[in-house]
Amino acid sequence: MLLQQLINGISVGGIYALLATGYALIYSLLGFSNWAHGEVAMLGAYIGILSVTSLQMPFLFAVILAVVGAGLISVFNEKIAYKRIRDNNSPTMFLMIAAMGLSTTFQNMAIVVFGPKFKMFPQILPVGAVKIGSLSVGLLDLVSLGIVIVVIIGLQYLITKTKFGLAVKAASSNMGTASLLGINVDKYIMLVFFLAGSLAGISGVLYGMKYTVYPQLGNVALKAFIASVFGGLGSVQGAIVGAMGIGLLETLVSAYIHSGLRDLITFILLIAILLFRPTGLMGKDIQDKA
Amino acid sequence: MKPILTITNLHKHFGGVKAINDFSVTLEKGKIYGLIGPNGAGKTTIFNTITGIYDPTMGNIALNGESIVGKAPYEISNLGIARTFQNIRLFGNLSVLDNVIIACHVDAKYGLFEAMTKFGRFKKNEEDIKEKCLKLLQFVGLEEMRDDIAGALPYGHQRKLEIARALATNPDLLLLDEPAAGMNEKESEELVRFIQNIHENFDLTILLIEHHMDFVMSLCDEIAVLNFGSTIFMGSPAEVKSNPAVIEAYLGGEDDA
Amino acid sequence: MSGYVEGVIILVCINVIAVLGVSILTGFTRLFSFGNAGFMAIGAYASAILTTKYGAPFPVALVVGPIIAAIAALGLGKLTLKLKGDYFLITTLGFGESIRLLFLFAEPITGGARGLSGIPPKTTLFIAIGITVLAFLGAWNFLRSKYGRNLMAIREQEIAAEAVGIDTAKFKEYSFMISAAYAGMAGALLAHYYMFISPIMFNLPKSAELTITVVIGGLGSLSGSVLATILLTVLPEVFRSAAEYRMLLYGLAVVVIIVLKPSGLMGYREFSLRPIFKLYERIFKKNDPTQTKGDGK
Repeated sequence: MLLQQLINGISVGGIYALLATGYALIYSLLGFSNWAHGEVAMLGAYIGILSVTSLQMPFLFAVILAVVGAGLISVFNEKIAYKRIRDNNSPTMFLMIAAMGLSTTFQNMAIVVFGPKFKMFPQILPVGAVKIGSLSVGLLDLVSLGIVIVVIIGLQYLITKTKFGLAVKAASSNMGTASLLGINVDKYIMLVFFLAGSLAGISGVLYGMKYTVYPQLGNVALKAFIASVFGGLGSVQGAIVGAMGIGLLETLVSAYIHSGLRDLITFILLIAILLFRPTGLMGKDIQDKA
Repeated sequence: MKPILTITNLHKHFGGVKAINDFSVTLEKGKIYGLIGPNGAGKTTIFNTITGIYDPTMGNIALNGESIVGKAPYEISNLGIARTFQNIRLFGNLSVLDNVIIACHVDAKYGLFEAMTKFGRFKKNEEDIKEKCLKLLQFVGLEEMRDDIAGALPYGHQRKLEIARALATNPDLLLLDEPAAGMNEKESEELVRFIQNIHENFDLTILLIEHHMDFVMSLCDEIAVLNFGSTIFMGSPAEVKSNPAVIEAYLGGEDDA
Repeated sequence: MSGYVEGVIILVCINVIAVLGVSILTGFTRLFSFGNAGFMAIGAYASAILTTKYGAPFPVALVVGPIIAAIAALGLGKLTLKLKGDYFLITTLGFGESIRLLFLFAEPITGGARGLSGIPPKTTLFIAIGITVLAFLGAWNFLRSKYGRNLMAIREQEIAAEAVGIDTAKFKEYSFMISAAYAGMAGALLAHYYMFISPIMFNLPKSAELTITVVIGGLGSLSGSVLATILLTVLPEVFRSAAEYRMLLYGLAVVVIIVLKPSGLMGYREFSLRPIFKLYERIFKKNDPTQTKGDGK
């Protein structure tokens, strides 16, 4: 029973992790939390589901479209809002406000355009469960967990081993120096937005398949945001750890305490952790120098 | 003369970097001191440690004989140490007058209720503060621009406003971080007179960081030369000029100013 | 006056009070809170429980509600105000949601999801307008005193604010508490106007809406906040639009404003009739060369 819950928790945590890493990537570069990230996932999920149901596309093709589409929407946000705000030298808080505005816009646009109804992905995988000893794991959960693991390993490789990762790291520690070193900072910011958006797209589709697709789907990103705060804003590893932690916590609280207390306990724990570690588990200490 | 500020064996380390390494100095009341040294010698770190932005790794800082280590920046300001910043930090969107008035908040004795209703001491306090601030602005020559937005002032005026704001806190010790930065020769000569004028009128001790050699030499009573976080020499301008160690460490490479 | 118009005016008043609180916090202190709906909830539930379950007179409920909200803000602020930027924001968000979930869960006292009903209808037009005027004047004077100036100093340059001797932690607490007290007052009035409250009325979108209104009115302009609240409360009533179109437009407005004119409707300025007089002078005194200078900036 406990083991079963742990597996459920990790499976939910994996979906959070895909979103949380996006928060972390963007925060590490620009120092703000991209509130519109959840709506990018929601729009990705809609692209996926509409491609399959309305346009009758093959499933795999629809998923690719959803992932690329979400990436492009993420870049669009950067282009029309965040970049301009940075160019204005406005305070960082304005980036968050813009993100909040974008989030509100997309969510309500989805209600207007797609309608408030819940939409179901058609059954792609057989509904069966895989039995391992006394455990039974939903096939979808298993596949989804597999995808999450592959994507996260790929992401780790990308940010620690490639030229792209090094450039992003240089830019995140100091934009000015990075551009002096000949790194086209704006290009990398765009790429990071694309990457983060694509990850959100994957998580949107996975979430939509597990549950349903609806305009407020982006609100799951709140959990992912909390996960990235747990882990320490700007730390990709921290975000993954935080997301898994929250996934497990939620499942365990629902199973053993009371499902009505699930979110309450998450929030209280969040505040408690920040009191002891004001920059999360793995966050860097940001200090404004005089 | 009585010492106003005594720094003994001060250390400040950032990870493995020793930004301040066993720095000691005693400032006597009423004098003007200069702190010079190559870039990265730890000058601004000393200011930040005196004003409580950083806690020292080791050592002591005493104001009028009482240790101020571990106090918050605002407490240190209220004890009588005011400062300016290397990269000017004004309240950019507020008016020139408001920048100075804000620094007088200690003179406003009224409470929250009086503030929200304008009862009691509110009016009198506010009038007194405004009068004090207008005088200050007149003194530094910015009274004409009192309603201008501080962030839009020309550079030289911003420096003066920052000094006026520091003076509004009624300090005993004034720390100036590169007041002549970005100024040409004529402007910095004017600034020397300006600071002398302040020094005479406000009964102050001044400690300043500066790269302009002529500026420091013509203004300061005593100069501490810093390298790698510790004092390599301390003396009068004439002594500093002729000291071989100083010439080697600093004056030789003067062009980095 | 028809009951409908009266209702809209009361609603405007309640929203103005809550927005004034956020304006002080976000517009003047640059602290971003997603928890003010939580403080509204505290004010609403505290006052409603007082009047319905303990038979307390309405004025007592109106005083106690905001005070409890302010005390909650003090407690939260003591713990979280030293956190930086986003970390502070997420704790306010967590707080707001926790309060909502707590009220949802504490069914014996709050009625849970079914809400709390049977609250006496005490919020009259006269009371709503009276309290709004007092709240506005109080905030206006507050911002033009050392308190408001110290907050603006924190907004502009926190390090410099400390360096001129401002206890920034303490003044942030003041700002947070006043903002919570205003939210609590709005909540108390709301409860005694609708006669019914439920946790869903104080959710995250409500907090976001308060912040959105302040941004549209202009960060750092109290009169702008009032103007924006009137606009954003009355327009949807006039056009009878569905909530999603309304929120879609708000979202777009926020993005456009923060990108193109971050100072909002009023910028750092307050609404006054002076520009109108100046325009008048410009038109009718064209022959006077000193008057031809622009007044735009």
